[in-house]
Amino acid sequence: MYETREVALEKIDDFRWRIPRSYKPGMRVPGIIYADEKLLKDIRQDKALEQVANVAFLPGIVNASFAMPDIHWGYGFCIGGVAATDPENSGVVSPGGVGFDINCGVRLLKTNFQYEDIKDKLKDLVYALFSDIPAGVGSKGDIRVSAKEEKEILVKGSKWAVGKGYGTQEDLECTEENGAIQGADPQAVSERAYERGKAQSGTLGSGNHFLEVQVIDQLYDRDICDELDLNLGQVTVMIHSGSRGLGYQICEDYVKSMQHCLQKYNINVPDRQLACAPVNSAEGKAYLSAMKCAANYAWANRQCLMHLTRMVFEKIFSLSWQKMGMSLIYDVAHNIAKIEKHVVDGKEKDLCIHRKGATRAFPPGHAALPERYKKIGQPVIIPGDMGRNSYLLAGTQKAMEETFGSTCHGAGRLKSRTAAAKSINLGVLLKVLEAKGIIVRASGRGTIVEEAPQAYKDVNDVVDVVHNAGISKRVCRMKPVGVIKG
Amino acid sequence: MKNYELIEHTADLAVRVRGKDLNELFKNTALAIFEISSEKLRNKDIKHKKIIIKQKADNLPELFVNWLNEVISLSAAKGLIFDGFQISKLTENNLEAVASCSDIKNYKINSEIKAATYHELHIEKNESGWQAEVIFDV
Repeated sequence: MYETREVALEKIDDFRWRIPRSYKPGMRVPGIIYADEKLLKDIRQDKALEQVANVAFLPGIVNASFAMPDIHWGYGFCIGGVAATDPENSGVVSPGGVGFDINCGVRLLKTNFQYEDIKDKLKDLVYALFSDIPAGVGSKGDIRVSAKEEKEILVKGSKWAVGKGYGTQEDLECTEENGAIQGADPQAVSERAYERGKAQSGTLGSGNHFLEVQVIDQLYDRDICDELDLNLGQVTVMIHSGSRGLGYQICEDYVKSMQHCLQKYNINVPDRQLACAPVNSAEGKAYLSAMKCAANYAWANRQCLMHLTRMVFEKIFSLSWQKMGMSLIYDVAHNIAKIEKHVVDGKEKDLCIHRKGATRAFPPGHAALPERYKKIGQPVIIPGDMGRNSYLLAGTQKAMEETFGSTCHGAGRLKSRTAAAKSINLGVLLKVLEAKGIIVRASGRGTIVEEAPQAYKDVNDVVDVVHNAGISKRVCRMKPVGVIKG
Repeated sequence: MKNYELIEHTADLAVRVRGKDLNELFKNTALAIFEISSEKLRNKDIKHKKIIIKQKADNLPELFVNWLNEVISLSAAKGLIFDGFQISKLTENNLEAVASCSDIKNYKINSEIKAATYHELHIEKNESGWQAEVIFDV
């Protein structure tokens, strides 16, 4: 079934490759892949490149169907894809270009601690985080929300959480869209979606979602590190989660309803998972209104998870989180569609940017950034696997010019979950991680194996490409010391 | 012999399922979802209930995906695990079934299946019956 055909690529430079429009009749733009020779070998192992070509069929797509170096085979869109469409030129929005886990994303917070300060209490800390932060499939949280509040969360996002005392105004400033994208309409969300997301606020979820205690092990841009007050050996916390059941159901509802749009609007795409509707159509507007609800729900969720994390630190170290300097560096979405201003052929346009496994990476001075980041550019958070590294990057002008202000989102899967489960021994894996000083707690033993470092590309290779290609720049690197998995 | 098998997919869950007829193919694929994602913790004292599921679609692939997604979504929203299906009506556009289910607390959940997708979806009749290949987002 899954035989792959060789996609003929044209080399643009050391970090960019082109799938020409001639590869498949119907491609409206070329595909452009950010990768080096080494990563390209892995990328060619599955059908991700074919999917990059399929996305190029979308009506109104501008410039190219882009793929980041962490791309891998998804369903419909590849994971690690960026597509901009022009609403004024029949441009479409596709729920598959966002995915089921709407606003899956990452936040990074810092502490005043050095590793030496916490190492004796690390085990207690990791066990307490695992005990107090609900994780796992369908997990339900202690943060109880009434039906009326559910709708409030969909509109207010992180602001709802801050209003409940789960954070501060400063947290909102340090969150993409201030934690609440405008235009969310709870009426566009089905009853089933509410039911599926019920009681999941403040829960981590399962699969590749995690909470990690990390230590900065490499500084790259010392000026930005100074600006952010980040030092070698400093302890950080990274939270990776999304919109849980609510987002899955919204995506499902709209992929289903947009099947009819393909015929209605005479849209030809090679994969029905790319079902879409013009951004300006009733169907397109309804999807975006519902998608924004899930995005806001996810931001509120990560805000609640950060609050729970701060409370655990307070319990273990008997200090207030403010005293421990646990401020949010930034929170970014990596599965989202947004209307953003970009320059195309010298003209500013409002485009619909799909980031499916890709992160916004806006440059210094961009209007969407808070004052504190106007000088350094948008912080970009790149989670890696549980055994290697994660990164803090900064957005660049080149990303604005080349990739609609986008960069990679993580390491990218290399091995299937089944292959990982077959080939990796849990006992050996835990010993290896322990030898590296990494404590892992997970609700399912299977999750640890499926999410083992061997199942992923090396995030260092991925970040090398985006840094060298100039679509974001390295700030510092972290290594995990404590991992909580769903 | 199991009536389904896993096929390689980098990020998600790809499954090949067989059935002697279309009715069995729909049933076996839905059952595979729960067999893959959950493990029964006990056999005694499990209270079962029945749920009627109806789906409509423009064509067979759409009906297949809608059916699987309805089952996944009901399971997640209601906290139920399905362990039996009786499909009383099945055409290219319509399906009616009675599903047997029990509380999710009777099971250990090993993985979360979010949805069935259209990507690389194949449903075909062969010499021994019907076969489907479907990718689920996990």
